[in-house]
Amino acid sequence: MNSALMILFLAVLSLALITLQSTVLSPGGGHIYPDLNLIFIVFLAIYSEVRGSLLIAAGNGYLMDVLSGNLPGTFTLSRLSAYILVKSSSSHVYLKKYLVQGLVIFGSTVFTWLFIMTIIVIRGEPGLRLPLGEILLRGVVNTAVGVPLFWAAGKAYARLQR
Amino acid sequence: MGFLKRRTIFIVIVLLLIAIQLFSLDLEKREKQTPAARFVLTLTYYPQKFVSSVAGVMSGTWNDYIHLVNLREENVRLKEEISRLRREKFELSEAGIQNTRLRKLLEFREESSYPAVPANVIGASPSILRSQVIIVDKGTRDGVTEGMPVASFDGVVGRILLAGDRSSEVLLITDPVSAVDAYIHRTRARGIVQGTGAGCEMDYIEKKSDVSEGDKVISSGKDGFFPKGVVIGTVTGIGSKGSFINAKISPHVHLNSLEEVLIIQKPVNSLVLNE
Repeated sequence: MNSALMILFLAVLSLALITLQSTVLSPGGGHIYPDLNLIFIVFLAIYSEVRGSLLIAAGNGYLMDVLSGNLPGTFTLSRLSAYILVKSSSSHVYLKKYLVQGLVIFGSTVFTWLFIMTIIVIRGEPGLRLPLGEILLRGVVNTAVGVPLFWAAGKAYARLQR
Repeated sequence: MGFLKRRTIFIVIVLLLIAIQLFSLDLEKREKQTPAARFVLTLTYYPQKFVSSVAGVMSGTWNDYIHLVNLREENVRLKEEISRLRREKFELSEAGIQNTRLRKLLEFREESSYPAVPANVIGASPSILRSQVIIVDKGTRDGVTEGMPVASFDGVVGRILLAGDRSSEVLLITDPVSAVDAYIHRTRARGIVQGTGAGCEMDYIEKKSDVSEGDKVISSGKDGFFPKGVVIGTVTGIGSKGSFINAKISPHVHLNSLEEVLIIQKPVNSLVLNE
């Protein structure tokens, strides 16, 4: 698949994931669902060699910002940072082992939430706090769902990139 | 941290500083929507509408059929009959419930002194950070604009945060940034109903005011958003905050199971003192 088609495919996939997250997997009502969009961004950072996946990651974060009651830049920049950190570490650490991927998903979840909480604490926004215990729990849920998804998606993606 | 380059850490810190600056925009500025934000709502409208419809059908199918799957062969005919009757009953009961809801919504709409647009809930916030946001299938094409109040036949739901072409985001009254000027119905004691995430609280009620558990809380109409006299909820607990009374409010509307709402086409910041 050529890179233009791959970018289009990833953009459509990003839209599909945000749709799922804002309908059947919406966290309102106290449910803890996996954050498919964050898992997708970590996946892009590990597997995608297509130029433009950084823009897909930022675009996905922007969709999250708008659909989460218009929090300007919060998800765009936190997820972009997570993408950059994972991408940058991929030249020093072998990220295609499942154990490492699990750690990366968990670490990315904790990192993005700490990034967001730092902003919120500095700006003193009332009500938008997430306890550390819940952040860790979300990290565990994302890891438990993300690793099997990576296994399946990694195989499919390798075929698509050929 | 040896696997991270200095340049990467520098970029992340710069991104964090930019994010802090963007977040410091006050809510009023945040609500000046960009064409890009509107485009996002339009882009996600059809997928959300499709998924919410399919999810509704699948949920109905699950309830009706899934527990029949493992029954024995000799009971198939009987079960098909039961299934058919159940489906009819389910459809009738669903139609009945929807009919009641829509009739109440229609009555509410007729009682309202402003024109109102009925809308279906097609989605919600994808993030736990601000989960008190829902998405409805009406937008600027239907005359919806930012700031318009949203209600159901049970009472206040929230207000339009962002209006796209075909869909809009509604900030629920339980969101921490939501605030509604309100009265205690029985005594006319005034205060501000603010969201707490899980529910609401009424703050800034004067100490000498008469407030009791079970009192109904209604909108005062003085905040420029909500029309006067719409039910918000019931007082479930009373405490004090500084030199004011603080009351816990249980919203009348079940905000987690909303299916239809009414968007009241009240111009924002008008008729504030005359209502």
